[in-house]
Amino acid sequence: MALIRNLSMRSIMLNMKKVFISDVRGLNSEAVNDDLPVEMENPYKKEKRQCILCKLNINPDYKNYRLLSQFQSPYTGRIYGRHITGLCKNKQEAVEREIVKAQNCAYMPYFYKDKVFLKDPRLFDPENPVRSHRF
Amino acid sequence: MPSYEIAMMIRTMPKAELKNTLMRVSNCIFDRGGIIRKIENLGFRPMPYKTSAHGIVHREANYFVLKVDTGTNVVSDLKEEYSRDVDVIRQRVYKVNQESTDQCSLEEELLPPAYRKEVQKMIEVGKTQVNRFTFKFKYNSGLDYYPFQR
Ligand SMILES: [Zn+2]
Repeated sequence: MALIRNLSMRSIMLNMKKVFISDVRGLNSEAVNDDLPVEMENPYKKEKRQCILCKLNINPDYKNYRLLSQFQSPYTGRIYGRHITGLCKNKQEAVEREIVKAQNCAYMPYFYKDKVFLKDPRLFDPENPVRSHRF
Repeated sequence: MPSYEIAMMIRTMPKAELKNTLMRVSNCIFDRGGIIRKIENLGFRPMPYKTSAHGIVHREANYFVLKVDTGTNVVSDLKEEYSRDVDVIRQRVYKVNQESTDQCSLEEELLPPAYRKEVQKMIEVGKTQVNRFTFKFKYNSGLDYYPFQR
């Protein structure tokens, strides 16, 4: 019984589909050649890569020294380069500018990272830079 | 009037005195026709480095940020006034950042060098320069002998 009902459902669905297709063809009766390739965007196109600050729409600010200290080496207090942080050019420049400001205002130390922030989550891995370096 | 941010470190003092100091600091701005939009208190905390000001070494400070609209010629005047203030340890004045609307350029930066715009520009510039390795001097003197010592 269930089988029959299933079959009948399928036949109804097929009929509906046929009606639908004929309707669509009726609308644009000129383009009916099914063999032509379909114009569409590349479905395999990769998503545009963005740096972490652009993705989250963050503008670095010198008062937010906790964020800025994540771009600072815990050993020397120096700012990590673009090949380590993985930021785009504009954001890296902004980060460097704001870190210098924050250090000037005595929000952030020059030669070490504030020990309160040492266990903050890491945004990048300094051991695996995009481009190798000699350090 | 452009907007500025004055980052100010004030020495350790009781709350009532701190209020007086802030009044004095803000009156300096009002006297010169400026407006204070906001005073942010970033709290009392140890400084990352010791600072000596007016003959005393400070290791802790009250952090304040004043968001101010003043004329450009007033800024140096304010700085001079605050540098003479005994309660102010350190002060910096910055212009307020413009919101940048640039798109992320990481995708273009990760392309191989030959596809990068700046590298292509460098190659174009290089083509207009003399190639040191293949350059040969031409003796266009019109003489059938070489006039200089060889
Ligand atoms: Zn970016």
